[in-house]
Amino acid sequence: MDFFILSFAVTNGLLLGGIYGGVALGLSLIFGVLRVVNFAHGSFLMLSLYISFWLWSIFGLDPYLSALINIPAMFMLGFAVQALIISPLIKRESALVVEPLSALLLTAGIFLVLDNAALMAFGPDVRAVQTSYYMPSLMLGGIPVNSQRLIGAVAAVIVAAALSWWLRTSHLGRSIRATAQNRDAAAMSGINVPFVYAVTFGIGCGILGLFGALMSTFIPISPSIGLSFGIKSFIVVVLGGLGSIPGCIIGGIVIGVFEAVASQFVTATSAAIGSLALFVLILIFRPAGIMGRA
Amino acid sequence: MNTKTIPLERKDVEKTTSLPLRPSSLVAVVVLGVLALVPALVSDSFFIHSLIMILFFAYMSTAWNFVCGYVGQLSLGHTMFSGAGGYCSVLLFTQLGVSPWIGMIFGGFLAAFLSVLIGLPTFRLKGPYFTLTMIACAEILRIWVENTNDFYGIPLKGAEGLVVPSMGDDVWAFQFTSKIPYFYIILIMLAVAIFATRLMERSKLGYCLKAIRGDRDAAEALGINPTRYTTLAFAISAFMTALGGSFYAQFFRYINPERNMGLELSIDMAVMSIIGGQGTVLGPLLGAAILVPIAEAARGTLGGSFLGLHLVIYGLALIACVLYFPKGVIHPLGRFFSRLFGLKETRG
Repeated sequence: MDFFILSFAVTNGLLLGGIYGGVALGLSLIFGVLRVVNFAHGSFLMLSLYISFWLWSIFGLDPYLSALINIPAMFMLGFAVQALIISPLIKRESALVVEPLSALLLTAGIFLVLDNAALMAFGPDVRAVQTSYYMPSLMLGGIPVNSQRLIGAVAAVIVAAALSWWLRTSHLGRSIRATAQNRDAAAMSGINVPFVYAVTFGIGCGILGLFGALMSTFIPISPSIGLSFGIKSFIVVVLGGLGSIPGCIIGGIVIGVFEAVASQFVTATSAAIGSLALFVLILIFRPAGIMGRA
Repeated sequence: MNTKTIPLERKDVEKTTSLPLRPSSLVAVVVLGVLALVPALVSDSFFIHSLIMILFFAYMSTAWNFVCGYVGQLSLGHTMFSGAGGYCSVLLFTQLGVSPWIGMIFGGFLAAFLSVLIGLPTFRLKGPYFTLTMIACAEILRIWVENTNDFYGIPLKGAEGLVVPSMGDDVWAFQFTSKIPYFYIILIMLAVAIFATRLMERSKLGYCLKAIRGDRDAAEALGINPTRYTTLAFAISAFMTALGGSFYAQFFRYINPERNMGLELSIDMAVMSIIGGQGTVLGPLLGAAILVPIAEAARGTLGGSFLGLHLVIYGLALIACVLYFPKGVIHPLGRFFSRLFGLKETRG
């Protein structure tokens, strides 16, 4: 194997993996705090990709600038979904179950609605954003680096760092962590648990708003794109440990590099099967993931 | 925590015992009996086709319910069994000339074997972890078949799918020019599946599965071996699902990875059980009877203009059901009818 091709594959895998990690951050945060596996995670990403696409296509807004609208829009959507749909369920089941399966069903319902509503509204066509300017690939040590992906990967690391810093230092962040540790004790200390849940869900979706904007520059957009990213996010989050923020980025990078390097030796499909098999094996043998607490 | 869960379980037990068991079998016999007469009365081909689809989904959902409804695990990967079964019977027929009647039994055993292989390590996973594992396993199989044209001389034909060559009216080849034989075949399959569920519910297996659903650790402490019973039920469920997959392949004379192994069919099976009432004998039939006509109407009247409309409705129905009828529509409906029949009985 040519060293140049291999190092190119590793760089590409690193960048793509960083983006996978960034996309999975919201899933991990929501699971860590609400103990809800958000089956509709990929659908929210799909939606935010479409927001950026339509802002560009109708108003000619630059995809990077559209993040300014995309993030608050996705935050509000997530906040509303949690407050209106999932919250009644959690209230009903709070005393009985820790990891409610019905919440998974509920988000599966949201996934069905969002994906197919997008299919109805936008049709099955694949769309792409074309920026008016050309973003050249950077040359780092003789290896060409796709600048859009570099921006995405760097953003993922920054968001992850900012999120853990904010969770550690801010008042709301502390409330979120307290709620994640013990819902009842947090409620008794005067934390508004339903509000914290809704904010957490909102942040999880808001992060997707950012990545929808960043990824719309290099990803072909279609209504069915959500599921593949959703499944990939599950893999990343399980690998890194459900609920762990640094684990999320590391899990993303492991999967990205694994797929990029593996597809140099075997077909890309075998690499995809490999990462799914890895996912199953980790769930069976080490459900807490690489970085998660056992 | 513990003090809170105990009263709920007691209520659970009360509910299941207060539900009269005999009327439900009566309902099953009446519904299936009336359905058996339908082809004699209606000859509209689209109507019969829609009925076949309702019965097919009711059958698949009953097969899903056999393990998932009773043991309380959500599998969204059951299509790997229908896919494996369908491919097995079609390949045996096209390659070796084995009758699909025999091929579907082979497919059933193949799926049962697959289910034991996958079920043994994964069934102890809890809640969402089990669901994700099943999705991943089904996706592995689907992606593999979709990208494999030839597997050691077996022509899988990848994403293109397999076509069953037309043989005209041939009972041995499981092919009929009229839709009515298919109707009776799936009706009998459904009746058998419902009967099997009924039998299981009152057997030791059924009681053990319910105990495991209630509290796995407590069941284990009472001497129930959860792995043994769940694996057994899983294998039976996989066997039935595979027969359904073979039926589907014979009915459409076509099978492909996306439709027969994809996530959508898995979700359909689960959603119908959940909306109808999982862990009940007739819940899946009720769920299919509610949901499939919506899909057929969306396809029949609106044509292709609204792709995915029926799935939007499925999603909304699922959300509404989880929020308002967490045990499925069959429970409020059953209470309503038992009150109705109770009145009648006192009058008579």
